[in-house]
Amino acid sequence: MNSMYVQGNSFLHQLDPRTKILFVFSIILFVFLFYDPMFQFLVTVSLLPIVFLSGLTTPYLKTVKFMFLLVFLIITVHGLYNPMGDVTKVTWQLTENLSFKHDALIYGAVMSFRILSIGTATLLFVMSTHPSDLANALVKWKVPHAVAFMILSTFQLIPIIGREAKVIMEAQQARCLDVKANMIQRVKHLIPLFAPLFITSFMRVHQMSQVLECRGFSSTGPKTSLREMTIGFRDYAFLTAIALFALAAITLRAVVGGTLLPITDFVLMSALIGIWIVCSIYFFDFLWKSVRKKVV
Amino acid sequence: MSAFLRVENLTHIYPGKIKALESINLEIGEGEVVAVLGRNGSGKTTLVKHFNGLLKPTKGNVWIGDMNAKKHSVAKLSAKVGYVFQNSNHQTFLPSVEQELRYGCENIGLDEETIQERVERVTELFQLEDILETNPFDLNSTQRKEVGMASILAIEPKVIVLDEPTTGQDHAGSERIKEVITMLKEQGHIVILVTHDMQLVGELDCRVVVISNGKKLADGAAREVFKDKAMLKEASLEPPQVMTLAEQLTSFGVNDHVLTVEEMIKEYKRVKKLDINKQLQTS
Ligand SMILES: Nc1ncnc2c1ncn2[C@@H]1O[C@H](COP(=O)(O)OP(=O)(O)O)[C@@H](O)[C@H]1O
Ligand SMILES: [Mg+2]
Repeated sequence: MNSMYVQGNSFLHQLDPRTKILFVFSIILFVFLFYDPMFQFLVTVSLLPIVFLSGLTTPYLKTVKFMFLLVFLIITVHGLYNPMGDVTKVTWQLTENLSFKHDALIYGAVMSFRILSIGTATLLFVMSTHPSDLANALVKWKVPHAVAFMILSTFQLIPIIGREAKVIMEAQQARCLDVKANMIQRVKHLIPLFAPLFITSFMRVHQMSQVLECRGFSSTGPKTSLREMTIGFRDYAFLTAIALFALAAITLRAVVGGTLLPITDFVLMSALIGIWIVCSIYFFDFLWKSVRKKVV
Repeated sequence: MSAFLRVENLTHIYPGKIKALESINLEIGEGEVVAVLGRNGSGKTTLVKHFNGLLKPTKGNVWIGDMNAKKHSVAKLSAKVGYVFQNSNHQTFLPSVEQELRYGCENIGLDEETIQERVERVTELFQLEDILETNPFDLNSTQRKEVGMASILAIEPKVIVLDEPTTGQDHAGSERIKEVITMLKEQGHIVILVTHDMQLVGELDCRVVVISNGKKLADGAAREVFKDKAMLKEASLEPPQVMTLAEQLTSFGVNDHVLTVEEMIKEYKRVKKLDINKQLQTS
């Protein structure tokens, strides 16, 4: 249950973390080169086979729904209310004074798919990389060992603190704290929940620093690592592919510009409705599960 | 009248299809002290967390008096079932011991007079008079544990659940906890303790429930249950050392019905006396 890492032995799992970091950065580069929802969509979709091949489908689908909630809000709210560009170009008139505008929808769609593609790439990275390997990669990039460890331990502390928070919540409920009370009371309840959390976290960190010292953390000189990793043929192949894509994308951008094809209303409507459909699937799934829980 | 706390056919499955409890049936009446025993991961905590609604049954029911634990919030059930967490740091957040003691009572909306009275009572019980103004985090772990227990007892729940109360306690702390449990029993409370401290169980001479892999293996008086060696082995439990000693000495005429050091001494004196009598007769 440490961090979001999912154990596996796929191609992606075997890549060097450094390769994967470059991969995430190149995806970010791609989606910011162009201002074209279709392109961003293609990038997102082309990442899905990698998700599947890495055996990360289930954890990915579980996590990505939070992104979809965000994306749903972005495309809907921007499409309706963002006053950018030509506000007279309407794509979908809902009521007399409520309509999805063409330029605003483009913006919303571009932002949405940017979030989805970058989010997917990042999830691929986080889910296929053991936290220790990430720290090692940073050390290889000449990040000081202590800093790399700090980043690593943050990753590992988050789930621990999460578990701790749950226990504290239970301990306070056991003292008749009504956590299901109304909003104002809930805000007041933050103190009984957070005070012990902070205190125990500080205690834990303090203790951890002593444990580390006892095991020679601050000794000087080069350190070895239990998990060794090397950049091999696989990484070079992958990096070459990324470089080729990047080259192609940059050339395309220089020649054609930020928008590849004219963006039609049909494209925008598909993006909007598509996101709505995915969101409602997640929503009904959630509803169905809660109803079933109530019934049982 | 049926027992105050009833567990009917309780099964609990954690997310990820982890079956932590399977078809547990249990009835606990007023004034009973019950020790829940079993190795780590056997499901003890899962069982007792159902008593105040922290966990809801996957199947089956838990009744607290006439309340079905499934249908009430933890906050509400906690007025009936006090749960003392193993790590008292998790519940401590107020700047003084006195405020900690008052906190639960304030949550259930008692009036000032009653709160005062209850705080005084638990203060006396645990002899906390000198540290009422102290910040709980400045106390040692034994005192902090006592404050944690006192703050739950101040709510005056009918049932008190203690999760590993003596773990990490010094001798004096364990003794006090034992005294408090005995006192609560006399007052008609139900005390349920999850523990690995067999000596404590022996000295309390209470009912024990043995859990192994989520199933109830045994339920009865400690004295009887501890004689079932095959069952204890399956649950990876060791009876109190003094009981093992007595069993090893049965060939010398020692009765193995011994649970505490005091009983052992008495038994030793009895055997010794017999021995002397026998010697006198023969000579
Ligand atoms: N929150 C949880 N989620 C999933 N499994 C859990 C959770 N809590 C406990 N378990 C599992 O349930 C079983 C019983 O745990 P627990 O009741 O804590 O045992 P005990 O208190 O006897 O040591 C263990 O196998 C444990 O791994
Ligand atoms: Mg436990």
